[in-house]
Amino acid sequence: MSYRKVACVGAGITKFVRRAKETGRELAWEAAKMALDNAGMTLADIDCVVIGTAPDAFDGVHMKGEYLADGSGGFCKPVMRHFVGGGTGVFAPIHGWQHIASGKFETCLVVTEEKMSSCFPAPAGAFITIFDHTTEQPLGPTLIWIFALEMNRYMQRYGLTEADIAKVSVQNKLNAIDHPAAQLGAKITVKDVLESEVLAWPVKRLDISPASDGAAAIVLTSEHKARRITDKPVWVSGVGWALDTAYWATRDLYYPQYVEKAARMAYDMAGIREPNKEIHIAEPYDPFDYKMLHHMEGLLLCKRGEAAKLVADGVTARNGRLPCCPSGGALGVGNPIAATGLMKIIELFLQLRGEAGKRQVPGDPRIGVAQAWGDLMQVGTVVVMSR
Amino acid sequence: MSFLEKHQRNVDLTAFDGKIPVHYRYTLGLAGDKFFTAIKKDGKFVGTHCEECDVIYSPPSVYCERCFASLEDSWVELPSTGTVVAFTVVTEDDQGKELDCPQVIAAIQLDGADNTFVHRICDCCIEDLAIGAHVQAVFKPKKERKGTLDDIEYFEIAAE
Ligand SMILES: [Zn+2]
Repeated sequence: MSYRKVACVGAGITKFVRRAKETGRELAWEAAKMALDNAGMTLADIDCVVIGTAPDAFDGVHMKGEYLADGSGGFCKPVMRHFVGGGTGVFAPIHGWQHIASGKFETCLVVTEEKMSSCFPAPAGAFITIFDHTTEQPLGPTLIWIFALEMNRYMQRYGLTEADIAKVSVQNKLNAIDHPAAQLGAKITVKDVLESEVLAWPVKRLDISPASDGAAAIVLTSEHKARRITDKPVWVSGVGWALDTAYWATRDLYYPQYVEKAARMAYDMAGIREPNKEIHIAEPYDPFDYKMLHHMEGLLLCKRGEAAKLVADGVTARNGRLPCCPSGGALGVGNPIAATGLMKIIELFLQLRGEAGKRQVPGDPRIGVAQAWGDLMQVGTVVVMSR
Repeated sequence: MSFLEKHQRNVDLTAFDGKIPVHYRYTLGLAGDKFFTAIKKDGKFVGTHCEECDVIYSPPSVYCERCFASLEDSWVELPSTGTVVAFTVVTEDDQGKELDCPQVIAAIQLDGADNTFVHRICDCCIEDLAIGAHVQAVFKPKKERKGTLDDIEYFEIAAE
């Protein structure tokens, strides 16, 4: 198939915080402007704008794409907003890729934003109506129910303990100490995680990423534009997105088919046959610690049930053979939903350019994969980047 | 076929009540904070000026939407007068109930600003109101001002 090559040439990110003074559009502008400056471009160089932002109910702004448009550089330009729940942030570069790979545009500013602190008493309240009004809502479900059921099923299937899973939280929060945008970088222990407040067994407070405010942006261009802008373009070399079953309760919870389907689509496009050997660096989506493990398996980076051992053996550490979430992930950097996914893309961009500073993984990485998960907990979005 | 059936009362069907139990607390933001602080403390409007585009925003923005320049250090003061660009007379509330007293709403371009500002017009001005009318903000007494949109009571026809 004949797609045009698409490059990432600039990135910007705000600090992720619990409560931002800035409005959502101000956050979007800060990230978007930073991405343009990083690319050495101005708004006049931008042909079109793509905005990724998760439920309107978080910011409390209906039609949030329109609300964010001016801060995202959309003034008098073609603008599209997309939304695939938690998968939105990694869908953002895919959406931008579509605009350029098609040949329609040369440059695209991709902006993601979330301001969850507007929502009271808690963003979780906005989720009640994602559950079926007849078969689930009368039980008063919360999102954590899903994760608790899924984590329990995953542990049971492979004989894992809560301590095996807690190691992910320990690793990612430690990595986040070196991320300038991070909200929750910290040196914690497995014991800290195990002793933190139980929310819905086996999920505990420190198994979960925080609610955050923040924005992130990148600039995508066609190949010939990229060559003129930078001598270090990072290519969007594979894209994939998929659902598994259309409803969370109709799939087996121990394995994320939605990731495998999306990953196979992205790997096929990128010409990757053995992801566990060819991928140098991974940013699987980790809103919960067990989810990083789940998603490593769905991304075919290891055998099913084996991810926890890789974490325990230090393989996924920043200086390991397969660094996973060297950014610090959602668990450490924070989780302003759509901006989190793009934060992972930005981490690949910086790592592959050798510009990740204190977070730089050794070994001159050339190929990375980032992934996010969302919608009704059954959408996978995957992007392979390379240089 | 269901669209041919007439369920006159949906309580006749087995149904579930639901609601999304959230409310919102919005921050003023960087620009809003300065704008409403100036109204509250000084009874004045401020805006931001993009020199590159020669555009003044009031209500302000800390960035220029046209060229993306930072306007965080480009504050200007504006008079509390402006021109009516469009107006309407509202006679029903958002539930379709007739208002006791019609409400006059106008898009107002503050003198010197390039964008417009939507606010109330005093209903005593309704006879003289026209597009192009010059109007003036009437602020609440200082001790009643809270740094919100309601610190402006309304706009009225300016005394020339
Ligand atoms: Zn300007």
